[in-house]
Amino acid sequence: MQLPKPLEQYDTVRTWFDDFKSQWGENPDDVSARLDILRHFCQFVGKDPDTIIRECLREVEGQTKISIKGRRFYDEKIREFQASVEGDARHKARWGNTIRSFLIHNGIFLQSGVQLC
Amino acid sequence: MEFKEVVGRRRSIRFFEPHRPVEREKIQTILEAARLASCAVNANWLRAIVVERDKLPRETLDQLKTPVSAVNLELAPVHIYFYGDLGAVPRSRGSTLKELVDVGALNPSHGWSHKFVDDLVWPMILEPMMSSPIMQTQAVAADCGVAICQALLAAVDEGLGACLSAFSTGIAKQALAVPDDWLPIYCLLVGYPAESWQAGGQRPRPPFEELYFEGKYGTPFQRDQNVVESLKAANMIQAPAPLPGRREEVRELSRRFGLPE
Repeated sequence: MQLPKPLEQYDTVRTWFDDFKSQWGENPDDVSARLDILRHFCQFVGKDPDTIIRECLREVEGQTKISIKGRRFYDEKIREFQASVEGDARHKARWGNTIRSFLIHNGIFLQSGVQLC
Repeated sequence: MEFKEVVGRRRSIRFFEPHRPVEREKIQTILEAARLASCAVNANWLRAIVVERDKLPRETLDQLKTPVSAVNLELAPVHIYFYGDLGAVPRSRGSTLKELVDVGALNPSHGWSHKFVDDLVWPMILEPMMSSPIMQTQAVAADCGVAICQALLAAVDEGLGACLSAFSTGIAKQALAVPDDWLPIYCLLVGYPAESWQAGGQRPRPPFEELYFEGKYGTPFQRDQNVVESLKAANMIQAPAPLPGRREEVRELSRRFGLPE
């Protein structure tokens, strides 16, 4: 899937990095690597970033709420995506967690579970 | 540890050392503390089932998680599932109150007698109260909360980290063979903290005067700064969150356990 515009121009990607900076006090030190992982995930699910976040939400009586169905769908897709990545557990976790970070900083609550011990 | 410092050091610990076992005597101490808590009509509603995480089948552990408790449940080596036994008072029919009369805790000086319990307290107060699901739940939940708080503070006093957590009650009922009339309250997660005991500092609280009143609602209970200073000296009131370095600590822990940032 070819995205029609650069990833950085999507609202949800801007929200991701803005909120990341607000939370951690600095920009990620690997912005381009994170964008590359997100690009792979967009291709994996065949959706652009804004659509992914939109599908995790739903409108109820004029209020935006998290869609349990949508969130569950993407939680599962992230697991599949992570499993499809070649490399050790740490590398796979990094790829999956980059996408989780994108969702979390856009207000989509989800947890990865402990992946490294 | 002094009591005031125990209160001051308590935090909800969310990063545990997952493979450091908790001594059995410390778990017993936690339960002993809960058992001695104040409880209305001496009902002793609280029940607990202690579970070592690693003795749970993996599938059960996964099913016990709620969306917000997955990481906590996985990291804590010991789970204490707390319940309120809704059958405690109906079974005793006031006998626990009469025990208090017998041991001199409730006395004629305050109007108490066996006959008062049998003729009035049980039939006119306790039995109707236990027939009302709302009143029953309020009473049981409040008193279990008091006992669980003592358990929580005992865990802190034992040098452990602890955090109250939600859990999937239906799964727990089946997996732990919970009786039908036990009301799920909380799961107390226990283990040695992987984060520093300060866990970033004391959590934000509303101003004292917004919470507590004197004489009537609207007249704030005046906070004496001398008392505040003495409580600081006793380590009950500690540095508020966020402490310097907290972000770095959380990021390091996230990377250690493979959690998102």
